[in-house]
Amino acid sequence: MMLSRVADHLYWMSRQIERAENLARLVRVSEEMLLDDESLGRGSAQEYWDPVLTATAMEATFRSLYPYPEQGDTSNFLTLDGRNPDSILSCVRAARENARSVRDKISDEMWTEINALYMLVNSPEGALLLARSPHSFYEKIITSSMLFDGITEATLSRDEGWNFLQLGRLLERADMTSRFLDIRSKSATSSGDSALESLQWGAVLRACSAHASYRRQHGGEISVERVVDLLLFSNEFPRSVRHCLRRADEILHDISGTPTGRYSNASEKITGALLARLSFAGPSEVMARGLHAYIDELQVQLNSAGQAVFESYVLLPGEIDRHFPRHSRQDSLSDWQREQQQQQQQQ
Amino acid sequence: MILSDYKGANLFDELVDSSGTIRPYYRSVADKLTGLSPEELSQKLRSLELLFLKQGITFTVYGDEQGTERVFPFDPFPRVVPAHEWEHIEAGLIQRITALNLFLYDVYHEQRILKDGIIPPEVVFGASHFRPEFVGVSVPKDAYIHVCGTDLIRDSDGRYLVLEDNGRCPSGVSYVLENRAAMKRVFPQLFSASGVRPVDTYPSDLLATLRHIAPRENPNPTMVLLTPGVHNSAYFEHSFLARQMSIEIVEGRDLIAIDGFVYMRTTRGLRQVDVIYRRIDDDFLDPQVFRKDSCLGVPGLVDAVRRGNVALANAIGTGVADDKVTYAYVPEMIKYYLCQEPILDQVPTYLAWRDDDKKYILDNLPKLVVKAANESGGYGMLIGPTATTAQLAEFRQKILLTPRNYIAQPVVNFSQHPTLIDGCLEGRHVDLRPFVLWGDTVKVLPGGLTRVALKRGSIVVNSSQGGGSKDTWVLAS
Repeated sequence: MMLSRVADHLYWMSRQIERAENLARLVRVSEEMLLDDESLGRGSAQEYWDPVLTATAMEATFRSLYPYPEQGDTSNFLTLDGRNPDSILSCVRAARENARSVRDKISDEMWTEINALYMLVNSPEGALLLARSPHSFYEKIITSSMLFDGITEATLSRDEGWNFLQLGRLLERADMTSRFLDIRSKSATSSGDSALESLQWGAVLRACSAHASYRRQHGGEISVERVVDLLLFSNEFPRSVRHCLRRADEILHDISGTPTGRYSNASEKITGALLARLSFAGPSEVMARGLHAYIDELQVQLNSAGQAVFESYVLLPGEIDRHFPRHSRQDSLSDWQREQQQQQQQQ
Repeated sequence: MILSDYKGANLFDELVDSSGTIRPYYRSVADKLTGLSPEELSQKLRSLELLFLKQGITFTVYGDEQGTERVFPFDPFPRVVPAHEWEHIEAGLIQRITALNLFLYDVYHEQRILKDGIIPPEVVFGASHFRPEFVGVSVPKDAYIHVCGTDLIRDSDGRYLVLEDNGRCPSGVSYVLENRAAMKRVFPQLFSASGVRPVDTYPSDLLATLRHIAPRENPNPTMVLLTPGVHNSAYFEHSFLARQMSIEIVEGRDLIAIDGFVYMRTTRGLRQVDVIYRRIDDDFLDPQVFRKDSCLGVPGLVDAVRRGNVALANAIGTGVADDKVTYAYVPEMIKYYLCQEPILDQVPTYLAWRDDDKKYILDNLPKLVVKAANESGGYGMLIGPTATTAQLAEFRQKILLTPRNYIAQPVVNFSQHPTLIDGCLEGRHVDLRPFVLWGDTVKVLPGGLTRVALKRGSIVVNSSQGGGSKDTWVLAS
């Protein structure tokens, strides 16, 4: 038994760190590819970034903040722009705020690492490093997130809190892996330029640290179907959507105590259905449906899985509706007000 | 550390007497501290600071855009209180909390003390923390203040004086425990054979105090600590105490009141709550009853309290007892309810709403300390002798406009205590906040928070205004 809010904080803490890590992976590999393309004289930078913004659902925010984008605006927007609620900086800041609220539920080492990551993205030194050596900057974020994961693994008791923390990370990872595929979904219908295809899909593999696994399984030649096979359907590769969902499903069953294969709430039902879907399909179905359309449906389901976790364990609608039909989660305005009021209490 | 240069002053010095001789109960700790080489000392100071940083023993400074977290400055020279002085303090504090609880029961029931003309009714009814909604409502064991943090200072004769009674949500006890733990770790040799009384039973005593007020004498109540949240300056303390007591730390949104009962939302569903150690002011507890815009409280909580289904520590409405105007009448209360003379003295207080007093205050403003009646934490305060002409004029205006809101006291020469400033010992003003628990029995924690004004000459010890703290040693004999 733990407080619903604590479960929510743990879930979001790890989810936001995972999101920051994946954004770093995305921007890092995109910038590298952009250099390749530019040296080959192909396409404009913005044409190149647009799919990234679309796949991460940040296009509208970007357009409103940068009506006339210039070079470097997109990576800045994705990285250190505090006005973008989904930038790396915003994710890390939110993760740290969540961690601060559950300091007594996580290990000191976890707190120290998350604090160090925050100092990196929220300091002049961090901005300087980004300007001088973007590659090392993104590398540091990725390493810090993985270190945090390792520290969690080695220092946190395997109780309910651990489960919620893992759940957040896994659902986010599944979601982001699918977005990596979506960025190249336009070029999924073979352009005939196999060198370009290999370059672009190779970048997706690199972004997911999947290069080595791919080579071992499929050899050196890169094709869309095989990349889709590895990143969506692999049972073994730890960043594949199916792998993440299988673990998330196990964790949900561990939390509720329901045997796997059955379900006791909406979140278990959704992950179970998704998992079944991924188990009985393969790259050919995806290509027939269209990669983008397939991923779109997948993301809708992943979102409803996250929403269902929130409702089953934090909102408790079943119990509260019975007594309090109009009770719902306080909105962001009252979040701000709450912060002001918290500070007024003293003696 | 060199002591030979240390001088007392023409006010009470905790370490040396008027002839400059070290007081006998300080000799052992002073010898051991001065025996340390400068290298040893600076190494130990570094480890102390690291220890506090690492454990996140911080407080938040307001006024900054984002509320910066800072480490509470800690001074390693402990304050020593000999056994006979402590007996006097302890007896005085017990007498005081007893009278205050009787007073609170009285003003929320028969109001005898008002009818008998001991305290003018305007004093009570005009206090902003008086809760007329709670007149006639019973609270468990008739107890209102369960946790009290009384501020004491010493005048130039070394007399302990009560400066204020903090009977709402006093904070600081976590620093008492953490300061002691840090001292034991970094300066273990200071403790050998020194006879310092331990402070670490506080969390279990507090837990017993909370259990004592459980509704229907439930022997196994669910108890929680209600915090305003992570942005509060005392959040560290809230989470520290909850952890030490192994109870949940909750925010208002974790609780829900349904049909006169209070529940917390857990991953296993709703769970009924019996006792709430609340660290939120009355105003914010329940938007249905007090401030409508409160996001920190729980709608329906007050109704559950009235019905006796959940108990609060401290009770609602205790602020009328630690009001700075009520303070002036505490000696009267002690005589009225207990037929005793006050054991602890207090600072003479002029009340601006009494015409004679107002005239005196306005005539002597540069000599007085003026305080807003309902503020705490060192805010809304004027220190006459060091104030600028503009500040004096501002307060004169405020007093004329709302006399009920202001009191004035002569500047008391707080005692000073040797404090390490840039490697040298210098005298700095200190106060003392002991903590009293009112449960099955009354317990005074043998120790307390010694706050020190680190700025030379300053008498403002609040952490928000450049104060630090010391470990406080109460000796067993």
